[in-house]
Amino acid sequence: MKSNHYNVVVVGAGFSGLIAAAAAAQRDERVALVSTGPGSFVLGAGWLKVQDLMEPSAPLELGGAIGLFREMTRLAGYPFMGQISSARSLPGIVGELQSVALAPEVLWNAMPRDGASTLIVGIRGLTCFDENFMAERLNEQARTMDSVCTYTAKQISFNRDLGMPVTTVRIAKCFDRDPGFRPELILALRQAADGFDGILLPGVLGLNSTAQQILELEQEVGCPVCEIPTLPPSIPGLRLFHHLERYLRAVGVELYRGFPVEKLEIHDGVCTELHIASPGHALILSGESVVLATGQSSASLLGEACVDHDQQMHPTNSNGSVVARNLYIAGSLIDGDAGIKGDAMDILTGYRAGNLAAATRGTYASR
Amino acid sequence: MESTQVVIIGGGATGAGILWDLSLRGIPSVLLEQGDIANGATGRCHGLLHSGGRYAVKDPEAARACAVENRIVKAIAPHCVEDIGGLFVQCSQDDPAFFEQWWRAAEAAGIPSSRLSAEEVRELEPNLAANILGAFTSEDAHVDVFRLVLANLEAAARRGGQFHTYSKVRSIRLDGGRVREVHYCDTRTGEEHDISCAFVINAAGAWAEDVAELVGVALPVVSDKGSLLVLNHRLSHRVINRCRKPSDADILVPAGPVCILGTSSIRVPSPEGLSASPEEIKQLLHQGDELIPGLADARVLRIFCGARPLYVPPATHASGSREISRSFALLDHETRDGIGGFVSIVGGKLTTYRMMAAAVSDCVAKKLGVHEECTTDKVPLRPATDNKAHKRAIRVLPLAVAEKIERRLGPEVDRVINAIKSRPELAEIVCECELVTRAELEYVLGDSTLVPTQTIADVGRRTRLGFGPCQGTFCGYKAMLAGYQTHRWTATQAANEFSAYLQERWKGQAMIQRGKQVEQLDLSHELYGMNPLVPADWRRAK
Repeated sequence: MKSNHYNVVVVGAGFSGLIAAAAAAQRDERVALVSTGPGSFVLGAGWLKVQDLMEPSAPLELGGAIGLFREMTRLAGYPFMGQISSARSLPGIVGELQSVALAPEVLWNAMPRDGASTLIVGIRGLTCFDENFMAERLNEQARTMDSVCTYTAKQISFNRDLGMPVTTVRIAKCFDRDPGFRPELILALRQAADGFDGILLPGVLGLNSTAQQILELEQEVGCPVCEIPTLPPSIPGLRLFHHLERYLRAVGVELYRGFPVEKLEIHDGVCTELHIASPGHALILSGESVVLATGQSSASLLGEACVDHDQQMHPTNSNGSVVARNLYIAGSLIDGDAGIKGDAMDILTGYRAGNLAAATRGTYASR
Repeated sequence: MESTQVVIIGGGATGAGILWDLSLRGIPSVLLEQGDIANGATGRCHGLLHSGGRYAVKDPEAARACAVENRIVKAIAPHCVEDIGGLFVQCSQDDPAFFEQWWRAAEAAGIPSSRLSAEEVRELEPNLAANILGAFTSEDAHVDVFRLVLANLEAAARRGGQFHTYSKVRSIRLDGGRVREVHYCDTRTGEEHDISCAFVINAAGAWAEDVAELVGVALPVVSDKGSLLVLNHRLSHRVINRCRKPSDADILVPAGPVCILGTSSIRVPSPEGLSASPEEIKQLLHQGDELIPGLADARVLRIFCGARPLYVPPATHASGSREISRSFALLDHETRDGIGGFVSIVGGKLTTYRMMAAAVSDCVAKKLGVHEECTTDKVPLRPATDNKAHKRAIRVLPLAVAEKIERRLGPEVDRVINAIKSRPELAEIVCECELVTRAELEYVLGDSTLVPTQTIADVGRRTRLGFGPCQGTFCGYKAMLAGYQTHRWTATQAANEFSAYLQERWKGQAMIQRGKQVEQLDLSHELYGMNPLVPADWRRAK
């Protein structure tokens, strides 16, 4: 049986797990991230709402956490615009304007602009997105805001067979892998956009695109091109996930992808091993510290034992004692304090847990 | 002014059954329902077509009625029933004396059953607990309650019966001690209407007391809440009943790709605003786990509550709700209260809806001087589909989808087939759990259906869209777009419909404590930018 030892092992690759791994990697050499896949990113819009997350006790920590998140996206070539303290109104999936604090440029620039005439482009066969619906909704909202911006809908189609119905993933993969697809798309957009100030598309512009690549596309089309979130699978969501993972790989975090942790070995108040349910032989990892960021669906890893957590982010059981001294929890695995939950909270708790986990390196006996 | 002979108040199984019965006898009738079809107890129950076994010991009259009606419903509405059969399992924790009592009582009530040994049970249902001692078989089945009510309404419509959903009765005008007119309003538009009639049948279930009050009659109806959980797997092949005195959480009903566990029995002051407490849910899961180990860890998709309308005749004294008879009462208010033309039907069970409808219809027909006998036990609710329809369907759709759509639409299936032939993109599957195609969506939202659709939730009741794991979060969006694209709704109306739909679906998931469903729920809130209905402390109660 193969055993791999790390300073910090993080389980779960949602917002909280990715940030925890990044935070730990800033201090420690040997960090591992175990996950089953992109998880919740496939459902999210690919932007960040901070909403009413006003942390009275540690505003600086939130700044630090979001700062690290922005650093990750910047270095991955997919920087996030905006600030914690303000928000922009961006078109959402039901054609309503949502209050968003941070987003990549390709989403960030979709904000309604007074006096602008915007084209909403739908793609024939992509039934999860209706450009007429979107245009009607945004025009309606522009009217209520006494804005003079207008939205017009048009549909483009491609010669190639994209299947029926067409999915966002299919188009995004063509965008990434098929060299002939981008010129076709650019031509179609350029023709359609004649006379318009900008284009809004459903989120299909590739699973791995960088900001630079999208900028180049805009230059060829001749006007700004932005995305609107769609039904899952969310391409902007998956794109963000890929970029964050790339950052982690680049800073030396070891990624164990594809199989869940099925068991934690806890002895004398120390988590000694993690057993990963990989086929063939069991994969066993150990970490001086372990961060669990596995989300609501994997609460059973800790069993009924875990009911709460302490100030040090250790999971605690019903009589208030710590489940394991080197174990930390982050993300939606924690019941939101006063009902505050969401991606920003996940980033904050992941940052905290990752830093706490890294800070205790060397304190406990390792195998 | 609208005019008819009989107004039926209440669009549950009983009301719909009465409309069909009266239509068959040629008596012009109009049904008024304040919500959509099966708004009350009918739409919030297990969906169990009882064999009668559950009542064999305690309520033999109800048991006998169930046994008879069980077979009739299967014969007249086979497309609404999953005839999977049932088991009354003998758990080692339960009283063995009861098992023999049950066996004798079932025989006495004419309930077909046979004995199975522990090994035989385990072979049939491998998920059952290892300590099951044996079981009795039964003719229990799963009935799609919405499909059943729809079938009655459609059948009635074909014979001239009329109905209005989203229509709430506001007042009933009497003249000379007789019913003359019903005044109702459209709950969606606020429009008011009058309809003149000779008879009013109060089939309003838990609201029967309110309706009776409109003519100044006291009709005490007790609301008894039952909570049910929908679990994300078909954990058994058959209906599983616990062979013991009726208690909580002793029935598990497979319903398509999911199963429904229930139920509880708690007096509540009103049929509205029902919810299940965390303790109640925990109890249900704990009890269910005794039947099927591991059930407590299953993914709960939805929690819903219904109010059983129980009628307590003035002379009886019943200690608890489970003691009140499940048989029904037909009240002729002319003799009882001096109000002519007003009749109430209260109590009863979903399984005996047809019998209840027959009793009322016999009474009213006699008073109207109509001599037609009841034939609802023999006439199928839907004409049979011709064989060629299946061949036509599988030419345009995959087999599994074709089968589902034939079952749902019956003779109307050709509308969908033809639509797909002219526009192949309509074959797209919008709801993957229940295999609902775009074509079916457009049909249901369009003008050619016998039962009109007003909201996305209505679409769900007609097609089962949104009844699976996503609970409509994703397929509901596509249904919204379909309503917009067919010009049923403007973009803003569509967005509002969807918002209302989501809030309703989320209500049923808000009571779930933890797990994958909660996670998806939170993520959907983020995606749709909507605030969840539920205050934070709901979920933190551990």
